[in-house]
Amino acid sequence: MIIPVRCFTCGKLIGDKWEEFARRVKMGENAGDVLDSLGIKRYCCRRMLLSHVEIIDEVLRFYEETEKRREARGYYYRE
Amino acid sequence: MEIEVLEKDDKNIRLLVRGVDTPFMNALRRNILAEVPCMAIDEVVIIENSSVLHDEIIAHRLGLIPLKTDLESYNLPEECSCKSEFGCNLCRVTLTLDREAKDGTVTVYSGELVSENPNITPVSDKIPIIKLAKGQKLRLEAYARLGKGKIHAKWQPVSMCAYKHMPQIKIDAKNCDACGRCVEICPKKVLAKNGDKIEIRDLLACTLCQDCVDVCPKEPPAIEVGWEKNTFIFNLESTGVLPPERILEEALKILDKNLEEFAKQIEVQKT
Repeated sequence: MIIPVRCFTCGKLIGDKWEEFARRVKMGENAGDVLDSLGIKRYCCRRMLLSHVEIIDEVLRFYEETEKRREARGYYYRE
Repeated sequence: MEIEVLEKDDKNIRLLVRGVDTPFMNALRRNILAEVPCMAIDEVVIIENSSVLHDEIIAHRLGLIPLKTDLESYNLPEECSCKSEFGCNLCRVTLTLDREAKDGTVTVYSGELVSENPNITPVSDKIPIIKLAKGQKLRLEAYARLGKGKIHAKWQPVSMCAYKHMPQIKIDAKNCDACGRCVEICPKKVLAKNGDKIEIRDLLACTLCQDCVDVCPKEPPAIEVGWEKNTFIFNLESTGVLPPERILEEALKILDKNLEEFAKQIEVQKT
């Protein structure tokens, strides 16, 4: 759903590194090099970021859409 | 016992320890993992939560956030003089969070947790706690307390704590013809070829995998990998709650205390 706070296996803090990782990989950098520069050495922590999918963004789209419709309806009734 | 610091920064420490045996190193490691106390959120009162995650998931995420620990000012709740289930100012810290997504989707970060004690704050301000869509609200009160790793892994002050034997590589110069196969196969690149000789480049990186011995075409092999008895390389990586040298110090103090207690128990049994 959302990036886990810590590595499942060793307990290293990885939550705060996700946004930088995702941004830099999207910019076209090599994922392995980004992980190295973030200081994530062990493969247990590396897979946390490599294999993560931020599904919460997909879920939130439904709520954003509902909110938009609610606003639109309010606008219509006010007329 | 002789200790040499090989590497050190604000989160990691690497030591070379000479003249101790395996049981001692293991006792030290297990004490660091299970007995050194640190701060973590333990109880959460959710006042309002209209986000997409359940209360329990948010509470769990909050619990895993490492908090900077002040061992001098706080007591373990079970040893605190207040003897209260709810804790007092000496064994509990309250953190609050109040956030509403007013315009558009927002991410709530650990930096938005307001602590009653400015010294007890999350190690990093950039840990996402949750994402809120427009109109969603999250209000909660969290209680952090000291605890030990043996109760829950969130109270472990380290994310890595391990020791290994000091490797010892012997190359028989007379038998070796420097074919270079051992240099190629070594996964940690410990060896290097220098002219017609094989040299050790980085001894500490050796994992004692013996691949170089197996690949050597000579019979018996011209390379021998062993380890020094009673010499260890000790690695420690803190989660940031306490500086690594402080963790070691605390672990030794606790080990001393437990051993004293053990000796006392033996005395009681005898009489």
